Amino acid sequence: MEVYSIKNLSFSYPQQSKYALNDINLTINSGEFVTICGKSGCGKTTLLRHLKTILTPHGKRKGEICFYGQPLEEVDHRTQASKIGYVLQSPDNQIVTDKVWHELAFGLESLGYDNSTIRLRVAEMASFFGIQTWFHKNVTELSGGQKQLLNLASIMAMQPSVLILDEPTSQLDPIAAMDFMEIVKKINRELGITIILTEHRLEEIIPMSDRIIVMDEGSIIADDTPQKVGEMLSAMEHPMSVAMTTPMQIYARVENNLPCPVTVKDGRKWIDTLLGGKVIKKEHKLMQHPSTSKNVVIQLKDVWFKYEKNLPDVIKSLSMEVKEGQFYCIVGGNGTGKTTALSIISGLYRPYRGKVLVNGKNIANMSIKERYRNNLGVLPQNPQALFVKKTVELDLYEMLSDTKLTKEEKAKKVKEVAEFAELDGLLHMHPYDLSGGEQQRAAIAKVLLLEPKILLLDEPTKGIDGYFKEKLASLFKNLTSKGVTIVMVSHDIEFCAKYADVCAMFFDGSIITSNPTKEFFAENSFYTTAANRMVRHICPDAVTIEDVIELCQRNSQQKMA
Amino acid sequence: MIIDSFSSFHPIVNFTYFSAVLLFSMFFMHPVFLGISLVSAFVYSVMLKGKKAVKFNILYMMPLLLFMAILNPAFNHQGVTILFYLKSGNPITLESILFGVASACMFVTVILWFSCYNAVMTSDKFIYLFGRIIPGLSLILSMVLRFVPRYTAQIKVISNAQKCVGRDVTQGNVIAKARNGIKILSIMTTWALENAIETGDSMRARGYGLPKRTSFSIFRFDNRDKVTFAVMAGLIVIVLIGAVMGENTMRFFPSIKTINTTIFSLVVYTAYFILCMLPVIINIMEEIKWKYIVSRI
Amino acid sequence: MSEKQPAKNGISKRTLLATILILFIIPVTILFGVFVLNDRKYYFISLLIIIYTMIPFVMVFENRKPKARELIVIAVLSAIAVAGRGAFFMLPQFKPVVAIVIITGVCFGAESGFLVGAVTGFVSNFFFGQGPWTPWQMFCFGIIGFIAGILYKKGFLKKTKLSLCVFGGLATFFIYGGIINIASMLIFTSQFSWKALLATYISGFWFDMVHAIATVFFLYTISQPMIEKLERIKIKYGLIETEDEAVSL
Repeated sequence: MEVYSIKNLSFSYPQQSKYALNDINLTINSGEFVTICGKSGCGKTTLLRHLKTILTPHGKRKGEICFYGQPLEEVDHRTQASKIGYVLQSPDNQIVTDKVWHELAFGLESLGYDNSTIRLRVAEMASFFGIQTWFHKNVTELSGGQKQLLNLASIMAMQPSVLILDEPTSQLDPIAAMDFMEIVKKINRELGITIILTEHRLEEIIPMSDRIIVMDEGSIIADDTPQKVGEMLSAMEHPMSVAMTTPMQIYARVENNLPCPVTVKDGRKWIDTLLGGKVIKKEHKLMQHPSTSKNVVIQLKDVWFKYEKNLPDVIKSLSMEVKEGQFYCIVGGNGTGKTTALSIISGLYRPYRGKVLVNGKNIANMSIKERYRNNLGVLPQNPQALFVKKTVELDLYEMLSDTKLTKEEKAKKVKEVAEFAELDGLLHMHPYDLSGGEQQRAAIAKVLLLEPKILLLDEPTKGIDGYFKEKLASLFKNLTSKGVTIVMVSHDIEFCAKYADVCAMFFDGSIITSNPTKEFFAENSFYTTAANRMVRHICPDAVTIEDVIELCQRNSQQKMA
Repeated sequence: MIIDSFSSFHPIVNFTYFSAVLLFSMFFMHPVFLGISLVSAFVYSVMLKGKKAVKFNILYMMPLLLFMAILNPAFNHQGVTILFYLKSGNPITLESILFGVASACMFVTVILWFSCYNAVMTSDKFIYLFGRIIPGLSLILSMVLRFVPRYTAQIKVISNAQKCVGRDVTQGNVIAKARNGIKILSIMTTWALENAIETGDSMRARGYGLPKRTSFSIFRFDNRDKVTFAVMAGLIVIVLIGAVMGENTMRFFPSIKTINTTIFSLVVYTAYFILCMLPVIINIMEEIKWKYIVSRI
Repeated sequence: MSEKQPAKNGISKRTLLATILILFIIPVTILFGVFVLNDRKYYFISLLIIIYTMIPFVMVFENRKPKARELIVIAVLSAIAVAGRGAFFMLPQFKPVVAIVIITGVCFGAESGFLVGAVTGFVSNFFFGQGPWTPWQMFCFGIIGFIAGILYKKGFLKKTKLSLCVFGGLATFFIYGGIINIASMLIFTSQFSWKALLATYISGFWFDMVHAIATVFFLYTISQPMIEKLERIKIKYGLIETEDEAVSL
């Protein structure tokens, strides 16, 4: 049974000549799990929004969309509201009411069900999703993952036959994201509901999917099973292969004629076949230890912190050292105190015991000016907390408003920083009209105008696609090469493994180990990159995708020679 | 502190109770009625909030009571029993002092009742009560109650972010503080408006705007609610009859006069007492029942 | 024009309701109060009248079946006004509520102005405690928003800083201060006398003055960016005009 059949769909936004969707032809069958991927701005969200009339954007449209054989615009709103479930990106923005139970009932109220029907459906959903324990809570008390689960549950209560999810896990930490996807999988497997999903972080999602659709510039460039898509992208040498799972990425960049591996398990088999079961216990690559001669710029000595007198300690005897020009990453689970630690370094919170020294000076004794002018730069987790003005350019100037620079000097500085952060085409746009990655860069540019020597970042890669991540990484590399020290808190292991100089594991209020990145991940067996997990049985030192590719190339060449 | 089981009754029971005691407390100037209401409000507020309420009542309510009692004679010079004259030549009368005391008691009582009301009638109960009559506005209320804590948290985030770019709200003179406050408010406004669009999408995607919307609630009108409601209604009727018969009227000016106490008055007093003490009685009964059950096990 | 129809209906319905209220229910209330309630008549008559005046707004709004985005705008602005007090925690008595209500009235019309005002008055008391003052605050905030909307529509009020500041200062001092002082006197003493009223006004003078200055200050600093933001939202998302069966506020 065809749930959706889309024929020759083209669409362009008002006052734009470029097509956001270009001649899309697509059929989605009942019970399928379809993942749509592509760079930011490739048109995947636009396509999803076309699948529900009430969310369809304004603009010029050609072509036809049928829902169970009936043109979508002829399907009445009531049917659409209940049969087409749509989960949006932000867990917070979607929640309308203040109580969990009310939120669960919201859609059913709209559909006009009576009290006893709603009671039953709500009870069913609360049990299926394990919401009973927080059923009576205020939504403010929930974690991000719980909020997104609530959004999903309140849509499932309306008994949809198809579930559309637009980057549902991009704002969640990896554990919560995994939990969420497990539920989505369960909905697909156990209830037979069709799933159409977009996401940037695809490592876990691709193996779940029946079908992958890759979009680029508003067109579909690949549409098949994960394995076939991996092979197609590899053959095309398309840049989108970087969005696939680690084994697929490695596959795409190593010459071979084997079938494409999708999961880590497949990947292990693949590499065993490729290298003929060879074991390379020692990878004879010298680990680059950062030279010890460099100055220590951040030093924490036995820092203890709690938010309130009667609350438990959040930071327990934390000591750490960061050297000049280092890119220092703090990784670790949720709620271990990573973000709090960052706030302590920035001087926002004061420890009740221990010292925080920045360039040898106690941060508690510095004035605000001394702390944040030419010294510490802090990028908040949500870059939107920094935007004040109606264009990016004005926002950059705003940063210099209380300095004594002349107009020309200001203009020069803004121009420089805009070039550095690659904001040239975006200066006249409203900050909120930028994509997540662009907002992140604009916020960094704002902070850079204060000329910080130390940059503190809280999950800068959250919700950003692979392409923008690479841009961000090159930005960071540029900064560290100029002697700027970067301390970053992140859940993004792959990113840390690829770009960090030193990684530190945060657990239970303090740092358990900190080591140069390669050593750090080579020593961990579970909390490590997918690439490392794929090859740790033959070479535990290969951490990044690049390492594995190099390993494959060298060893398969040796084999040939 | 006892767990308040009256709060777990149906919102209609809660709301009717508070409407009745608040209205009666605002009307009845008769010393017996005033006393009953004041004592009940005091006891219930302590039961609800424990030591904090005792502290609040003594620290804030007592001085307020005294202040108001003194304030009235300064403006009000009616009454026949003149005690002495002020320098301005105006008389201070016994009646005006007593009237001052009475209206001060009334005011304090109302404040105390409202403090109980705030603890019992949580927003979701209110929204439930008005969800059927004014669905649109009660949805707005629910949304505002959802947004306010979220915005307050965001204000904190923004203010920290601003601090970290060298702009501290808590430092500098009044103008600097105000300027930073404005900036925070401005950032928050943009953030709130832009993010609310997705909230709107989420509402419409879940069918908001379809005709014949219903209003769901988790509250059920159980048997105990029915019984309590009937008892309460009976008591209210008795008190109202008493009011019509003039049992609660008290004349202060020119001279103090109340109706004579009869058996009927005693009935009305008792009814009023039980009505005001209803939550306290329910709580004590539940407590005893529980202890009894536990002891039987 | 289908777009204008509901608005016209709205006004006429409101007028009808208001007429019934003014000609019938309010006089009955006053008579009832004078003859039945002795000591508390002033407070109750005024309280009931206050509540009556809010009923038509509520009824018109509910009958109109408001759209999702209208609800959102009202909820967001009210929440900003309530939470906005948090941004000024360090300056007591310096509250942006009236300013936000006036801006709403100007940007989204009299009805939205009234609703944002009333909802703000009501909800803020969920956080600061409900009391006998709640209906009065709701009414005062609401009516200021309503008047701002009407005056803007009639062209007496402009979206300029000067115009908004003058109106805001006067409205806060005379409408809000004027009504709230009566209310606090009635709540406190339950007796009406001109002398007591005068005393209340005098004792409340500085309080009202600070409030009025705060409103002027807020309107001076935030009115323009705020109006800009609201206009952007209106255009970017077709907030009110381009909604399918648009309802003009």
